[in-house]
Amino acid sequence: MPEPQKREAGTRGAAGAEGGGSSESWYFALLILGARYAFEAPLVTEVVRLGPLTRLPAAPAFLPGVFTHRGEVLAVLDLSQLMGQQPVPIRPSTRAAIVHSGPWKVAVIADAVDGLVALDRKQLDPPPAEGGGVAEFLSAVGRDGKGTLAVLDLPRLVEAARARSVPA
Amino acid sequence: MSETTTEILLFQVGARVYAAGVRDVRRIGNPSDAKAEDRLVSGSVLGDPFSPDRGIVVACDDGNDRTLVVDHVIGVRFVPQGDVRPLPPLAAHCLVSAAVTGYALLDDLPTLLIDLPTLVREQRPGSAAGPERKERNDA
Repeated sequence: MPEPQKREAGTRGAAGAEGGGSSESWYFALLILGARYAFEAPLVTEVVRLGPLTRLPAAPAFLPGVFTHRGEVLAVLDLSQLMGQQPVPIRPSTRAAIVHSGPWKVAVIADAVDGLVALDRKQLDPPPAEGGGVAEFLSAVGRDGKGTLAVLDLPRLVEAARARSVPA
Repeated sequence: MSETTTEILLFQVGARVYAAGVRDVRRIGNPSDAKAEDRLVSGSVLGDPFSPDRGIVVACDDGNDRTLVVDHVIGVRFVPQGDVRPLPPLAAHCLVSAAVTGYALLDDLPTLLIDLPTLVREQRPGSAAGPERKERNDA
């Protein structure tokens, strides 16, 4: 069995939005099923109310559909289901954070928006080294006055989504 | 100045409406009028029709036409070519079926665009046999 490798925080862009020469970075935090997750703030272009979804046939559960936003159709990603947990309930209060990284632009659904959070990059920890669970989607883990903040890595999320879509 | 348009057929399977290019459609018929040689596809990744009232006869590359059984054939619409687009990258990468090729924006809502020849040839996920069945014995 291969030995788990420890990941370095920040190796895949966990630095976030740097604040003017300081070691502080900005992250955009979301609440998903009671836990706090964040993307680097510059990657989150908008937070929107989720419009009517067009369901996709034979799609995995973590991809509940697509929706139109400003004339563009975006895939909606339910992070909770990608992690094997219960779905984020879609209610009028449900929000979607539009996250853009490289060729990927997705709407990540969240129970609520926690807002911008500044973290000292020196105090970011690498994600837990053991594979599986949410750790495989993370680039770093930080802490602030509200508790733990798990920093998500969109390319890893997409890679996991692709891997889990392949029929057994 | 006239805008280039694409002609699409709108049809309904279950509660959902889909679109398909009309070039792949040979004719619209009634599944109950199917002949012995007709290959009916009564279930697909789009689901099962509530009431299998209409059949879309699809021209397939292998020369064997197949009839997709649907609830309703809504009609034909011309849409600007700019409103027919591929799926968002994440959706394209995660879909099991190759039959969903994109979407057409109709009244600002995305209607999934289905490649009918691919759909009627595809094996339905979770089924051991292919989607098609012959209504009667060939003998």
